[in-house]
Amino acid sequence: MIEAIIADRLTKHYGATMAVDTLQLHVRQGEFFGFLGPNGAGKTTTIRMLTGVVNPDEGNILINNFSIKDKSNIARTIGVLPESRGFYDWLTGAEYLDFFARLYGITERDSVAVLLERVGLTAQRKKKISAYSRGMRQRLGLARALINKPSILFLDEPTLGLDPRGQQDVQNLLRSLNQDGMTIFYSSHLLNEVSELCSRIAILDKGKIVAEGTLNELRQQADRQAGTLTDIFLTLTHA
Amino acid sequence: MPSIFNLIWSKEIREGLYTWKGLVWLVIASILFSFTSYLLLTNKELSLLDQAELLWLLSKIILVVALLIVTIDASMVIATEFEKETAESLFLAPLSIRDFILGKFLASFTLWLALFIVAVPYMLATSAGSHLAPAFLGYVLLLGSLGVIGFIFFIFALSLLYRSSKSTLTTSLMLLLAFTAPALFSSTLKTATVATTISKINPIDNIFSSLDNVLVDFQTTLSQNWQFLFPLIVFCLVTFVFLSFSISVFRRQGIIRNE
Repeated sequence: MIEAIIADRLTKHYGATMAVDTLQLHVRQGEFFGFLGPNGAGKTTTIRMLTGVVNPDEGNILINNFSIKDKSNIARTIGVLPESRGFYDWLTGAEYLDFFARLYGITERDSVAVLLERVGLTAQRKKKISAYSRGMRQRLGLARALINKPSILFLDEPTLGLDPRGQQDVQNLLRSLNQDGMTIFYSSHLLNEVSELCSRIAILDKGKIVAEGTLNELRQQADRQAGTLTDIFLTLTHA
Repeated sequence: MPSIFNLIWSKEIREGLYTWKGLVWLVIASILFSFTSYLLLTNKELSLLDQAELLWLLSKIILVVALLIVTIDASMVIATEFEKETAESLFLAPLSIRDFILGKFLASFTLWLALFIVAVPYMLATSAGSHLAPAFLGYVLLLGSLGVIGFIFFIFALSLLYRSSKSTLTTSLMLLLAFTAPALFSSTLKTATVATTISKINPIDNIFSSLDNVLVDFQTTLSQNWQFLFPLIVFCLVTFVFLSFSISVFRRQGIIRNE
């Protein structure tokens, strides 16, 4: 199986605080990979290192066999919905996506319309982003992450702020993208959502991976015969 | 495919127009130039001021107002990308820091050119009837451009280090004030060695001295003003080195730095 993401002994300190501690991670191509952890476990820092936004203190990262330092190839390979979600509020949704499409060198005129349709924002395409609700911004951020047709999608709390229907829509979209072969690296606090969507899950605690595998493998690692992902999470993280 | 810096440049221009920010600056400048020109022309008619002195005063006011506006605007253009959390998405795209800076630089320089264009009618009106109009316009554009380039480099360097518009603006305004205040002192206050040395390296002082040389003493060729242009070019080079240093710090720290 070809590896989409390889993180080798990834380490990051913030002053005296060890945010991520010699983290080892292997995500296969086409996998729907869940990334869990309590608040402050180092999830966002890990995602930021894997996407080249934060420089690790130590360790190596390979994304589709490109070194993380190869910024140009990495940017064309990955799509990211980051934790920080700033938008240019003075643009409309369509103008915003068009700006990012141009940054990626995408000139097909219908690509923005197709994406707006996919995330359910066609009716709001001419509205200024300043008038968007939190859920609409979330969908727009997801559309931006997909603008370059990435082979790996990093998502940090993608359904945050969405109503149940919105969550369902996003989950269906992600399932269909994964079925089309996209690797998805998915970080969320909604454990039901993660257990429904992800084929493999890693649990991070205090900057270290404490368990990794399928739901059944996680149960074994937590010494539980049965139980939900929430039970496993609480056992393994001592939260 | 358009150059990426072009996209950043056009985004900034559009933001200036969509949010009225850019237009507000031009209206403010226009009001200030109208008021100043009216006062100066009234004084001229009362024979309290000769035309060369009038042009020198107006050129100083135009350049100080333009530098002030460009300083305020340039202090925002980079830092707000970090403050409004738009930088992360921007740099996740295949955008290099070089294209980012170049696009932002062109946007700030465009604001200076727009301010210059707003000032042109006032410069033409005040220089009417004299042979100084071409030199007046040419030197305001040349000296203003050099000053603006140096200040933008300095402000962008600070923005990358601070990533805060408040800190960048405060420091930049203090530098502008530190350069402008001594330049407004009369030459009799600049006789001591320290004062003359500071005056020789102060970019604003050199801009004012060159304008004096051109408009009052009619020394209009570039070679006659080289002694003032050279320190301005050095100022631009020094601030460019500072910007290069800030870019290397930015690359080392990453788009989001240690919190």
